Amino acid sequence: MTEQPSLEMPGPGLSTSEFAEKYEEHSRAIFYLCLRLLSDPEKAQDATHDVFLKAFRKMDQFRGESSWRTWLYRIAINHCRNLQQAWNERHMLSNSDEALFENTAARVDSPLRVLETKELGQRIQKALDQLPAEYRLILLLVADKELSYEQVGTLTNQSSDAVRGKLHRARKAFASFFQQTS
Amino acid sequence: MKPPKKVFSQHEAEQAHTTSQSQSQSHTETEFKEVEDLLRHDALHTPVPPSIAQRLEESLQQNPPPKLPWWRRFFKA
Repeated sequence: MTEQPSLEMPGPGLSTSEFAEKYEEHSRAIFYLCLRLLSDPEKAQDATHDVFLKAFRKMDQFRGESSWRTWLYRIAINHCRNLQQAWNERHMLSNSDEALFENTAARVDSPLRVLETKELGQRIQKALDQLPAEYRLILLLVADKELSYEQVGTLTNQSSDAVRGKLHRARKAFASFFQQTS
Repeated sequence: MKPPKKVFSQHEAEQAHTTSQSQSQSHTETEFKEVEDLLRHDALHTPVPPSIAQRLEESLQQNPPPKLPWWRRFFKA
Protein backbone atom coordinates (compact mmCIF):
# COMPACT_ATOMS: atom_id res chain seq x y z
CA MET A 1 0.00 0.00 0.00
CA THR A 2 1.39 3.41 -0.88
CA GLU A 3 1.69 5.81 1.97
CA GLN A 4 -0.19 9.01 1.29
CA PRO A 5 1.26 12.29 2.46
CA SER A 6 -0.03 12.82 5.97
CA LEU A 7 -1.65 16.17 5.16
CA GLU A 8 -3.82 14.50 2.52
CA MET A 9 -5.15 11.82 4.83
CA PRO A 10 -8.96 12.06 4.99
CA GLY A 11 -11.40 10.59 7.54
CA PRO A 12 -10.51 10.31 11.22
CA GLY A 13 -6.96 11.46 10.47
CA LEU A 14 -7.93 14.82 9.01
CA SER A 15 -5.64 17.08 7.05
CA THR A 16 -4.72 20.43 8.54
CA SER A 17 -7.24 22.26 6.36
CA GLU A 18 -9.98 19.75 7.21
CA PHE A 19 -9.14 20.16 10.86
CA ALA A 20 -9.37 23.93 10.38
CA GLU A 21 -12.98 23.44 9.30
CA LYS A 22 -13.64 21.61 12.57
CA TYR A 23 -12.04 24.52 14.38
CA GLU A 24 -14.27 27.04 12.63
CA GLU A 25 -17.31 24.94 13.45
CA HIS A 26 -16.63 24.28 17.12
CA SER A 27 -14.17 26.88 18.43
CA ARG A 28 -16.86 29.31 19.58
CA ALA A 29 -18.52 26.64 21.73
CA ILE A 30 -15.23 25.39 23.14
CA PHE A 31 -13.86 28.86 23.83
CA TYR A 32 -17.09 29.91 25.53
CA LEU A 33 -17.10 26.82 27.74
CA CYS A 34 -13.46 27.35 28.72
CA LEU A 35 -14.06 31.05 29.34
CA ARG A 36 -17.00 30.52 31.63
CA LEU A 37 -15.46 27.53 33.43
CA LEU A 38 -12.12 29.19 34.03
CA SER A 39 -13.40 32.77 34.52
CA ASP A 40 -10.30 34.12 32.83
CA PRO A 41 -10.02 35.18 29.16
CA GLU A 42 -6.26 34.58 29.00
CA LYS A 43 -6.52 31.09 30.46
CA ALA A 44 -9.51 30.36 28.24
CA GLN A 45 -7.44 31.25 25.17
CA ASP A 46 -4.64 28.95 26.27
CA ALA A 47 -7.11 26.19 27.11
CA THR A 48 -8.91 26.45 23.75
CA HIS A 49 -5.59 26.24 21.94
CA ASP A 50 -4.56 23.23 24.03
CA VAL A 51 -7.90 21.46 23.55
CA PHE A 52 -7.69 21.67 19.76
CA LEU A 53 -4.04 20.70 19.76
CA LYS A 54 -4.82 17.65 21.90
CA ALA A 55 -7.68 16.76 19.58
CA PHE A 56 -5.38 17.04 16.57
CA ARG A 57 -2.73 14.85 18.16
CA LYS A 58 -5.29 12.25 19.25
CA MET A 59 -7.39 12.19 16.11
CA ASP A 60 -6.47 8.55 15.54
CA GLN A 61 -8.28 7.73 18.80
CA PHE A 62 -11.53 9.35 17.65
CA ARG A 63 -13.71 6.44 16.58
CA GLY A 64 -16.78 8.38 15.50
CA GLU A 65 -18.93 6.90 18.27
CA SER A 66 -19.67 10.43 19.45
CA SER A 67 -19.88 13.66 17.52
CA TRP A 68 -16.85 15.91 17.12
CA ARG A 69 -18.61 18.45 19.32
CA THR A 70 -19.07 15.95 22.16
CA TRP A 71 -15.51 14.68 21.81
CA LEU A 72 -14.08 18.20 21.93
CA TYR A 73 -16.26 19.05 24.91
CA ARG A 74 -14.94 15.99 26.74
CA ILE A 75 -11.35 17.07 26.14
CA ALA A 76 -12.20 20.64 27.20
CA ILE A 77 -13.99 19.57 30.37
CA ASN A 78 -11.10 17.34 31.43
CA HIS A 79 -8.57 20.01 30.57
CA CYS A 80 -10.39 22.73 32.52
CA ARG A 81 -10.96 20.34 35.42
CA ASN A 82 -7.24 19.60 35.61
CA LEU A 83 -6.47 23.31 35.58
CA GLN A 84 -9.06 24.00 38.25
CA GLN A 85 -7.76 21.21 40.47
CA ALA A 86 -4.34 22.73 40.22
CA TRP A 87 -5.75 26.01 41.50
CA ASN A 88 -7.70 24.34 44.29
CA GLU A 89 -11.26 24.90 43.35
CA ARG A 90 -12.70 27.82 45.23
CA HIS A 91 -16.41 27.01 45.26
CA MET A 92 -17.74 24.02 47.16
CA LEU A 93 -21.41 23.05 47.48
CA SER A 94 -22.48 22.47 51.04
CA ASN A 95 -25.88 21.36 52.32
CA SER A 96 -26.58 24.87 53.54
CA ASP A 97 -25.88 26.20 50.05
CA GLU A 98 -28.41 23.78 48.60
CA ALA A 99 -30.97 24.92 51.15
CA LEU A 100 -30.27 28.49 50.12
CA PHE A 101 -31.00 27.66 46.47
CA GLU A 102 -34.23 25.92 47.42
CA ASN A 103 -35.46 28.90 49.44
CA THR A 104 -34.26 31.54 47.06
CA ALA A 105 -36.71 34.22 46.07
CA ALA A 106 -35.82 34.01 42.38
CA ARG A 107 -38.47 32.45 40.20
CA VAL A 108 -37.31 30.21 37.40
CA ASP A 109 -40.39 30.88 35.33
CA SER A 110 -39.95 34.64 35.38
CA PRO A 111 -38.02 35.95 32.40
CA LEU A 112 -34.60 37.47 32.93
CA ARG A 113 -34.61 41.07 31.74
CA VAL A 114 -31.23 42.53 31.03
CA LEU A 115 -29.89 45.70 29.54
CA GLU A 116 -27.49 45.06 26.72
CA THR A 117 -24.34 46.51 28.14
CA LYS A 118 -20.73 45.55 28.04
CA GLU A 119 -21.12 44.36 31.61
CA LEU A 120 -23.51 41.57 30.69
CA GLY A 121 -20.72 39.04 30.29
CA GLN A 122 -19.26 40.07 33.64
CA ARG A 123 -22.62 39.65 35.34
CA ILE A 124 -23.06 36.21 33.84
CA GLN A 125 -19.56 35.27 34.93
CA LYS A 126 -20.19 36.48 38.48
CA ALA A 127 -23.37 34.46 38.73
CA LEU A 128 -21.74 31.35 37.25
CA ASP A 129 -18.76 31.68 39.58
CA GLN A 130 -21.06 31.40 42.57
CA LEU A 131 -22.61 28.17 41.37
CA PRO A 132 -21.27 24.75 42.31
CA ALA A 133 -19.01 23.48 39.52
CA GLU A 134 -21.47 20.77 38.49
CA TYR A 135 -24.39 23.18 38.11
CA ARG A 136 -22.21 25.57 36.12
CA LEU A 137 -21.16 22.83 33.74
CA ILE A 138 -24.69 21.50 33.29
CA LEU A 139 -26.06 24.95 32.49
CA LEU A 140 -23.32 25.66 29.97
CA LEU A 141 -23.72 22.32 28.21
CA VAL A 142 -27.52 22.42 28.15
CA ALA A 143 -27.31 25.90 26.63
CA ASP A 144 -25.67 24.33 23.58
CA LYS A 145 -28.57 23.38 21.34
CA GLU A 146 -26.44 20.78 19.59
CA LEU A 147 -26.34 18.62 22.72
CA SER A 148 -29.17 16.40 23.93
CA TYR A 149 -29.84 15.72 27.63
CA GLU A 150 -28.39 12.26 27.03
CA GLN A 151 -25.16 13.73 25.68
CA VAL A 152 -24.95 16.18 28.59
CA GLY A 153 -25.47 13.21 30.91
CA THR A 154 -22.68 11.27 29.22
CA LEU A 155 -20.33 14.25 29.47
CA THR A 156 -21.13 14.75 33.16
CA ASN A 157 -21.26 11.03 34.04
CA GLN A 158 -24.91 10.82 35.02
CA SER A 159 -28.30 9.93 33.62
CA SER A 160 -30.35 12.34 31.55
CA ASP A 161 -32.97 12.30 34.33
CA ALA A 162 -30.35 13.42 36.83
CA VAL A 163 -29.36 16.21 34.44
CA ARG A 164 -32.97 17.38 34.20
CA GLY A 165 -33.32 17.35 37.99
CA LYS A 166 -30.14 19.30 38.59
CA LEU A 167 -30.88 21.69 35.75
CA HIS A 168 -33.95 22.94 37.54
CA ARG A 169 -31.94 23.77 40.65
CA ALA A 170 -29.09 25.20 38.61
CA ARG A 171 -31.47 27.57 36.80
CA LYS A 172 -32.97 28.69 40.06
CA ALA A 173 -29.60 29.31 41.68
CA PHE A 174 -28.26 31.12 38.62
CA ALA A 175 -31.32 33.36 38.39
CA SER A 176 -30.93 34.29 42.04
CA PHE A 177 -27.24 35.10 41.76
CA PHE A 178 -27.71 36.89 38.46
CA GLN A 179 -30.36 39.19 39.91
CA GLN A 180 -27.99 40.05 42.73
CA THR A 181 -25.42 41.26 40.22
CA SER A 182 -27.69 44.01 38.78
CA MET B 1 -0.06 19.40 -0.17
CA LYS B 2 1.05 22.71 1.17
CA PRO B 3 -1.21 23.79 4.00
CA PRO B 4 -3.25 26.81 2.94
CA LYS B 5 -2.38 30.10 4.54
CA LYS B 6 -4.64 31.54 7.19
CA VAL B 7 -6.86 28.50 7.35
CA PHE B 8 -8.17 29.59 10.74
CA SER B 9 -8.97 33.22 9.98
CA GLN B 10 -12.77 33.28 9.91
CA HIS B 11 -13.32 34.74 13.34
CA GLU B 12 -11.39 37.94 12.64
CA ALA B 13 -14.15 39.43 10.52
CA GLU B 14 -16.72 38.00 12.88
CA GLN B 15 -15.11 39.74 15.82
CA ALA B 16 -15.23 43.12 14.09
CA HIS B 17 -18.87 42.50 13.27
CA THR B 18 -19.87 41.56 16.81
CA THR B 19 -17.96 44.46 18.30
CA SER B 20 -19.79 47.01 16.20
CA GLN B 21 -23.05 45.17 16.79
CA SER B 22 -22.65 45.19 20.56
CA GLN B 23 -21.88 48.92 20.52
CA SER B 24 -25.00 49.72 18.55
CA GLN B 25 -27.10 47.45 20.76
CA SER B 26 -26.03 49.00 24.04
CA HIS B 27 -28.84 49.94 26.42
CA THR B 28 -31.45 47.83 24.60
CA GLU B 29 -33.47 45.80 27.06
CA THR B 30 -33.71 42.14 26.15
CA GLU B 31 -35.84 39.50 27.79
CA PHE B 32 -34.73 35.90 28.18
CA LYS B 33 -37.24 33.26 29.10
CA GLU B 34 -34.66 30.73 30.27
CA VAL B 35 -31.17 30.95 31.68
CA GLU B 36 -30.00 28.91 28.69
CA ASP B 37 -31.30 31.60 26.31
CA LEU B 38 -29.23 34.18 28.16
CA LEU B 39 -26.14 31.96 27.96
CA ARG B 40 -26.73 31.28 24.25
CA HIS B 41 -27.00 35.01 23.63
CA ASP B 42 -23.81 35.59 25.60
CA ALA B 43 -21.98 32.85 23.70
CA LEU B 44 -23.10 34.30 20.38
CA HIS B 45 -21.74 37.70 21.36
CA THR B 46 -18.47 36.37 22.76
CA PRO B 47 -16.01 36.38 19.87
CA VAL B 48 -13.21 33.88 19.72
CA PRO B 49 -9.92 35.79 19.81
CA PRO B 50 -8.16 35.38 16.44
CA SER B 51 -4.86 34.88 18.25
CA ILE B 52 -5.94 31.34 19.19
CA ALA B 53 -6.22 30.36 15.54
CA GLN B 54 -2.84 31.88 14.77
CA ARG B 55 -1.17 30.03 17.63
CA LEU B 56 -2.92 26.80 16.73
CA GLU B 57 -1.84 27.05 13.13
CA GLU B 58 1.77 27.47 14.24
CA SER B 59 1.46 24.54 16.63
CA LEU B 60 -0.09 22.30 13.98
CA GLN B 61 2.75 23.00 11.58
CA GLN B 62 5.07 21.39 14.12
CA ASN B 63 2.71 18.44 14.68
CA PRO B 64 1.93 16.22 11.69
CA PRO B 65 -1.46 14.49 11.95
CA PRO B 66 -1.22 11.07 13.63
CA LYS B 67 -1.05 8.13 11.25
CA LEU B 68 -4.00 5.79 11.26
CA PRO B 69 -3.35 2.29 12.62
CA TRP B 70 -2.48 -0.22 9.91
CA TRP B 71 -5.87 -1.94 10.07
CA ARG B 72 -7.74 1.30 9.52
CA ARG B 73 -5.49 2.18 6.59
CA PHE B 74 -6.10 -1.33 5.25
CA PHE B 75 -9.90 -0.98 5.37
CA LYS B 76 -9.79 2.53 3.94
CA ALA B 77 -7.92 1.36 0.85
